[in-house]
Amino acid sequence: MSISSEYAIEAERLTKVFRPLFGRQQVRAVDDVCIQVRRGTTFGLLGPNGAGKTTFVKMLLSAVHPSSGGARIFGEDASRPASRRPIGYLPENHRFPTYFTGFGMLDFYAGLSGLDGATRRARIPEVFARVGLDVRWGDMRIGKYSKGMLQRLGLAQALIHAPRLLILDEPTDGVDPVGRREIREILRGLEEQGVTIFLNSHQLAEVELFCEEVAILRKGKVALAGKVRDLTAGKGYRLAAAEMPERLQQDLRGRAAATASRDGALEFQFSTREQANDAVDLLRAAHCEIESLVPTTSTLEEVFVKAVEL
Amino acid sequence: MRTTAIVTVALIRDTFREAFARKIFWALFALSTALIAFFIFLMRIDVVEGASATVSLFGRTNPRSTDVRRLVDGAYGGIATFLYTWGMLLAVFASAGLIPSVLEPGRIELLLSKPLSRTHILLGRYIGNLLVVALNIVYLVAAVWVIFGIKTGVWGRQFLIAIPTTIFIFAVLLSVVALVGVMFASPAVTTMITVGLMVISPILAQTHTMMRLLSSETARDIWLGFYYALPKVYDLGRLTMDMVTDRTAPDAWMPIWTSAVFGAVVLAAALAVFSRRDF
Repeated sequence: MSISSEYAIEAERLTKVFRPLFGRQQVRAVDDVCIQVRRGTTFGLLGPNGAGKTTFVKMLLSAVHPSSGGARIFGEDASRPASRRPIGYLPENHRFPTYFTGFGMLDFYAGLSGLDGATRRARIPEVFARVGLDVRWGDMRIGKYSKGMLQRLGLAQALIHAPRLLILDEPTDGVDPVGRREIREILRGLEEQGVTIFLNSHQLAEVELFCEEVAILRKGKVALAGKVRDLTAGKGYRLAAAEMPERLQQDLRGRAAATASRDGALEFQFSTREQANDAVDLLRAAHCEIESLVPTTSTLEEVFVKAVEL
Repeated sequence: MRTTAIVTVALIRDTFREAFARKIFWALFALSTALIAFFIFLMRIDVVEGASATVSLFGRTNPRSTDVRRLVDGAYGGIATFLYTWGMLLAVFASAGLIPSVLEPGRIELLLSKPLSRTHILLGRYIGNLLVVALNIVYLVAAVWVIFGIKTGVWGRQFLIAIPTTIFIFAVLLSVVALVGVMFASPAVTTMITVGLMVISPILAQTHTMMRLLSSETARDIWLGFYYALPKVYDLGRLTMDMVTDRTAPDAWMPIWTSAVFGAVVLAAALAVFSRRDF
């Protein structure tokens, strides 16, 4: 895989195997995952519980060390601290120390990002207000904040150093519907400014509404990946085939709207019947076995369910 | 370089904030203040012709007059003993939670997502914790020194040596707190192991007696091995007291450098464990 900074995130054969202290049973939480997220796009990582989404994100941040493979952030090795400079991160189950005030917490995390005192003083009230928090709460201990307010504060700490890549784990968790829309608008504004947004969420409708591209993880592997528009575009066809030559694989990847690998077979998502028929012709000409050819459905939820059901 | 300084200050300030919030800093400060108040208000020293003195405690006067210098040395020795026994014990209790708290799920991921190395995170906490305790030690020792200086006219500067030696002992013990903290993330286990090392120190220090009592050469070697390998809290305390009361330079540097080596190795191990852990 070519490595270039055209991508905000490049994960190459990223694998994490958890080994228990005693006993032999290993868990492959993330298995040979290759994901590329182009700069300036909005990308959703989906999957059922235990699919490996959080472990994947933690490997991008070096909170979990990969067993094999690697990742790059804007072309820089993700294991290097400097690679995290352009990242703003909001974890799912964050636990901010309650001894902080709202402003104090932002000051601390801004300091860790290397922002000097003058910049911090200017940015803190600005970002605080930007995420919809009343600045009068700034000097209040965060133990008094509601869950929705803490979520907004978490988003503020992710934005405080003007990141180029936002990695958000369930960003609207605990936020009311109006607040969700506000957060979506904030993220939309950031997207327009060229910020890459990587969303890890269970909220399929939200991902469908917000993300350009998605990857669905299932048991640690990429079950399906592609543009949301293509995956959910009305009628389509999914073609599964095995043992095809590399050149044919590349050719079909170029024609398909999305591709995925499952149980040794490659799956291609085609938007039209003609494209699917052309692919079948190519496969037959190359004497490849076709595993299946099925019409596909339209909503991301349906796509998701089908992808994780097998 | 400037960014490194900003990040380091942020980590140290965070440790202070947490120490304040957990009332750790204030509890140590209150204890030191109580001791200082005792020397200011409850102990009266009447110096006769600059050489001997009578001491009154809680208003009751000891009729026997004492040599002022001996009185001051005795008081210095008492404070030094308090510092390396109870003072260290309290400091370890107070510090045991400050490293595991950083490793709490939901908090550590956020710290690790920032552009700083794990070594920087742990060392920032270590230095912050050390400074919290060091400030209290400086406050207590300097205040007692000033009080005795004013009350007796004796300004024994050797007492101030208790500041670096006590901070040094704590720095060594804090490396154990850091290692056990990153391994088990449990304040209780951290306290048990660190206090265990303090308790075993005076026992291991009885090398002369044990060399006589132990009949087997192997047993003697094992004893000496443990004695040299582990931190010498007791020996360092004795050494401090000798310097403070007798105004003598240490005749043996071994307890200092072996403890320093122990502290450096354990701190390096803590950094290695922390760097390899998944969160």
